[in-house]
Amino acid sequence: MAAAEEFLAFNPAGPAGPAAASRRRNRGPRNRKKGWKRWGGPEARLGREIGDFLEDVGLQERAAGGLISEQPNEDLFFLDTGSAPKSQPLKKKKPPQKPPRKPLHVDLVLQPLSKVPPPKNICAYQTPHGRKERRRRQFWEKKAEIGEFPRQERRLRARLARGGCGAPQKPPELGRSDPQRPFYDIWGEHNPLDAPLAGQDPWYLQQTKRLRVQRPPRLQAKPSPLPPVEVIGQGGSYNPPFQDHQELLLRALEVETRRRREEEKVERRLKVTEEPPSQEAVLREQLQGLLEEEEEEEERDEERDEEQNPPRKREQPGRKTEKQRRREKEQREKAGARARARLALQRRQGLFRLCSLRRALRLRDAELRRRRLLRDRQRRLRETAPKRLGRLRYEDAGPEVQLSEELPESLRRLRPEGSVLRDRFKSLQRRNMIEPRERAKFRRRYRVKYVEKRSFRAVTL
Amino acid sequence: MGGLEKKKYERGAATNYITRNRARKKLQLSLPDFRRLCILKGIYPHEPKHKKKVNKGSTAPRTFYLLKDIKFLLHEPIVNKFREYKVFVRKLRKAYGKSEWGTAERLKDNKPTYKLDHIVKERYPTFVDALRDLDDALSMCFLFSTFPRTGKCHVQTIQLCRRLAVEFQNYVIASRSLRKVFLSIKGIYYQAEVLGQPITWITPYAFAHDHPTDVDYRVMATFTEFYTTLLGFVNFRLYHSLNLLYPPKIDSQAEDELKPAEGKEYAMDSESYLERLSALSASLARAVAPTHEDEVEVDEFPVEGETAELMDAKKKEQEALEKHKKLFEGLRFFLNREVPREPLAFIIRCFGGQVSWDKSLCIGATYDATDPSITHHIIDRPRLDKQVVGRYYLQPQWVFDSVNAKLCLPMADYFPGVLLPPHLSPFVTEKEGDYVPPEKLKLLALQRGENPEEESEEEEEEEEEEEGDNDKEEEEEEDESEKEEEMKLQKMEEQKMEEQKTQSKVLPVKVTAGKVRLEDKQRLEQEQQSEEKRLAIMMMKKREKYLYKKIMFGKKRKIREANKLAEKRKAHDAALKEQKKKNKKARQA
Repeated sequence: MAAAEEFLAFNPAGPAGPAAASRRRNRGPRNRKKGWKRWGGPEARLGREIGDFLEDVGLQERAAGGLISEQPNEDLFFLDTGSAPKSQPLKKKKPPQKPPRKPLHVDLVLQPLSKVPPPKNICAYQTPHGRKERRRRQFWEKKAEIGEFPRQERRLRARLARGGCGAPQKPPELGRSDPQRPFYDIWGEHNPLDAPLAGQDPWYLQQTKRLRVQRPPRLQAKPSPLPPVEVIGQGGSYNPPFQDHQELLLRALEVETRRRREEEKVERRLKVTEEPPSQEAVLREQLQGLLEEEEEEEERDEERDEEQNPPRKREQPGRKTEKQRRREKEQREKAGARARARLALQRRQGLFRLCSLRRALRLRDAELRRRRLLRDRQRRLRETAPKRLGRLRYEDAGPEVQLSEELPESLRRLRPEGSVLRDRFKSLQRRNMIEPRERAKFRRRYRVKYVEKRSFRAVTL
Repeated sequence: MGGLEKKKYERGAATNYITRNRARKKLQLSLPDFRRLCILKGIYPHEPKHKKKVNKGSTAPRTFYLLKDIKFLLHEPIVNKFREYKVFVRKLRKAYGKSEWGTAERLKDNKPTYKLDHIVKERYPTFVDALRDLDDALSMCFLFSTFPRTGKCHVQTIQLCRRLAVEFQNYVIASRSLRKVFLSIKGIYYQAEVLGQPITWITPYAFAHDHPTDVDYRVMATFTEFYTTLLGFVNFRLYHSLNLLYPPKIDSQAEDELKPAEGKEYAMDSESYLERLSALSASLARAVAPTHEDEVEVDEFPVEGETAELMDAKKKEQEALEKHKKLFEGLRFFLNREVPREPLAFIIRCFGGQVSWDKSLCIGATYDATDPSITHHIIDRPRLDKQVVGRYYLQPQWVFDSVNAKLCLPMADYFPGVLLPPHLSPFVTEKEGDYVPPEKLKLLALQRGENPEEESEEEEEEEEEEEGDNDKEEEEEEDESEKEEEMKLQKMEEQKMEEQKTQSKVLPVKVTAGKVRLEDKQRLEQEQQSEEKRLAIMMMKKREKYLYKKIMFGKKRKIREANKLAEKRKAHDAALKEQKKKNKKARQA
C-alpha cells in the first residue's frame, strides 16, 4: 500500500487543479509599460481597498449574520462556566496535501509501446495434472470409508496418538553440572551408558565405528607416585606439640633465608659497582694524545727491552736414532715379560689365598649391592621430584606456618593459614598433572587514546 | 654399502613426542579447549629423557605430549562438541551484534552440551579404581562447595559440589567408616576407610577464603567438572552398597521429628531438603528396611601360612575396629554456637553419637540445650555462667582427640578454660629412634590400658577440688563412677594381657628345641650382615665414606637430641611440679 502512495500512476486524473491556475498568475510581459502599470497607481490602490472592505463585510454577514459592530454583546460573547462534556473528538488535522508528482521518466520509458495485448498464460488458470489429482483424491476418499489413509496422514495420526505434537516428548536432559542431575550405576551390568550397544556383534560395531576406542593401559598409570593429599606434619596442627612446631619454624626459616639470599644475590648483581671517574681520570682522558713526548719515551724503552731479551727459539724434538729405537723396544719387551711373569705367579699364589679372594669377592658384592641401593634411592627421588614440563619450573610454596604468638589458644580463635585452593593447585603441579604456567599478560592491540569530552571537561581556574 | 642416508629426527624419540602446539593444531582446538580436553581425559604432559633429540636439536624448554596419547585423543567425541561450541559462540555473538533476539534465543535453546559419563567409565573401568582416585575428587568438591557464589565459577557447579559432598558425608556416617581427623592450620584432614580403601581428604575451615590470585581457576573448574561426575557415580554405588536410597532420603521417622514448618526460616522450599541433609542430624532411609539379623559368626577358614597368632591378631584388630566405630554410642552431645558445627556434627554422628545444636544456629536441631539427657556439652569459651548439672562441659578438641586415640580420653584435660594438651596428628607414625613427645607416650599408654600418671592426675584433681566450688561435687561423683568404669576396663585389659602372656609362655615350651637353632641362625645372619656392612664401609671411596660418616653422625645426633629433649622435658615437668607444690604450700600456709 505504501508503494501506491509513493509512486505515481501513469495517467493521473488531471495535470493540475484550479489551485495551480490561480498560483500561476498571468501577468503579461514585464518589459512593456502595459505590463507593469496594470495594478499600480492610486486608483488601483483605492480599488483594492474597496474590494478588501467589501469582502470583509461579506465575511461578517456570512459568519455572524450582519455586521459585528451592530450585533448585541450577548450574541457575540458567552460566559465560560467550566468545561463542557467533550462532545466530539477533535478532527484529525489532515496533513497538507502533497502535490501529485509526475511518474519517473524511467518508468515511462519502460512502458510497453505495443498496442497489441500480450497473450494470456493458460497455465496460470489450470492446475497441472489436474485430472490425475482428482482421480487420486477420489481414490483416497473411497479408501477412507474403509479406514485406510495415505502414508503421511497415517504418520500424523500415529504421532497424535503417541501424545500430541505440540508438547515436547520429554523434558530436556539436565546438563553435566546441573545441581539436580541424576546419576546411575555406571559400573553395573545394565547401565544406560552401554545399553544402546549391548548385545550387538562387536565386530559389526567396530567396523561401523560405533565402538569407542579402548584406552591404552599405559594411561592408567599415574604421572607421579606422590599421594594426592599430602597431610601436613604434626607441627602444622592448630595446637601443635612444642618440639614439632619448632621444627616447622626452623624449616620455614630455612626456606625464607634461602629466598632472601637469592634476592640479595640478584640485587648485588644489579648494583653498579663502578665508582664515578675522579677528576684526575677525567683530566687524563682529556689530555690523551697531547703529551707526545712521554709516550715516545715509553715506546723507546720497550724496544730496548726486546733487544736485551730476544724471544727463545722452540726446541724441535730430534729424530730418534736407530740405537734408541732398539733400546726402547727391548725395554718394552722386558716389561711385558715381567708383567706376564708376575701375573702367572699371582695366579699360582692365588691358589693359596682362596680365603682372601673370597673375601674380595664378597667385598665386591657388597659394593655392588650398595651401589644398587643408592641408584634405587636416587631413582625414587627423581620419580617423586616434579618434572620440568614447560618453560617454567615448579616452585614450592614453602610450608604454611604460624608463629608462636599467632597460635590460637582455642579452636574458636584459629585463623587459618594458607589456602586449600592453592594447596590443591600446587599439588596438581607437583604430581605432574598440569604444567606450571604464568598468567597470560594482558596486551593491548592499540594504544588507548584519552579524549576529554567538552561537556565533562575539568575546569581549572 | 651405500643405501639411503639416515636423516636426523625421523625416528626414535623425536617421533614419539609431539609439542603442545602441534598437538593443539592436530586436534584443531584452541589452547584452553585443548587443556580442558587433556584434563578430562587424564592425559598429562611428559618430560622426555633426551630433550634435545625430541626438540630437534633445540634446547628450548617446551611442553611435550606422547604422540600416541594425542592420537588417542583424536577419537574422542567431545572434541567435536568443543568445535560445535566454538561455532555456537560465534553465531550467538553475531546474533547479538545484529540485535536478532529471536535468533539468539533459538541458538541458546540448542546450545551444544556434552557429558562426561563415558570418560568416567573409560578412566575407571572398575569401581575400586574410582575409589582409589577419590582423594582428589573429594578435596575438590569440599573446597568448591565452600566457595562464595560471586561468579568466580559457575553457581551451578558450587551447588552440585555441595550436594555431592553432603551425600558423601551422609554415606560415611551411615557406614561409620571415618578413621582419623586432624585439625591443621590449613584445614581439616579426614581419613575414612571405604570398602577397604583408605581415603584422605581435606576440607577448608568455614569462612576462610581469600581467593589466591596465582591459581588458574579455569583449570581447577575443569578438574572439578570431571570430579563431580566421578563422585556422583561413586556416591550412587556406595549408597546402593549400603542399601540406601539414592538420591538420599531422610528417614521418615526422623522426618516426623523435624517439623516441616521449621525449615522455612532457614531456606527456600527448593533448598531446605539439601540443607536438612547437610545438617547431618537425621539418618537416611533404606531401600529395604533393615532387618535385625541375628549376627551370625562368619566361619573362619585359616589361610595357608597363617598361624594361630596371626589369626588372633586379626580378630583382635577387628574387635578394636568395632569398638572404635561405636565410640560415641549412647552419648548425647550439644554444640554451643561458637563451635564449628559441621565438622563436629559429622564426626560425632560417624561414631554413633547423637548431636544437636541451638535452633537458631542451623536447621535440623533435634533437642534443646535444656534437655536433661545431654551428656556432653561442647563449648569453646573460657567459662559458662549458667552450667547445667549432669553433663560434661568440654572443649571441642576432646572429640577430635578421642577419635584419634580410639577411646574416650579423660575429660579433665579438656574442661573449659583449661590449657589444652597439644593436638597430635594421627597421620604421623614415629620411627625408631625418633623423639616421641610425652603426650604421645601418655596416649599410647592409655591405649594399652595403663594409666601411668594416675597419681599425678589425682594430685591435680585434689588441687582442683580445693579450688572448686560446691556445684562441682556432682561432677566429682561422676568422675568417680567413670573412674570405676575405667578401673573395670583396666582390669579387663589386664586380664587380656595376662592371657596373652600365658599364651606366650605356653608357646616357647612347646618348641624349645627348635628355637635354639633359630636363634643361632639369626645370630649368624646378623653377624654376616654386620660383617658385610663393615666390609662395604671399608670398600667405600673416600668421598662416599665421608658422606656415609656424615649420615651416620646425623643419625646419632638425632638420637642424642631426642634423648636430650626428653631429658629437658622431664626437667621442665619436674620444675613445674615443684612450683605447683610450692604454690600449694604457700596457699595452704
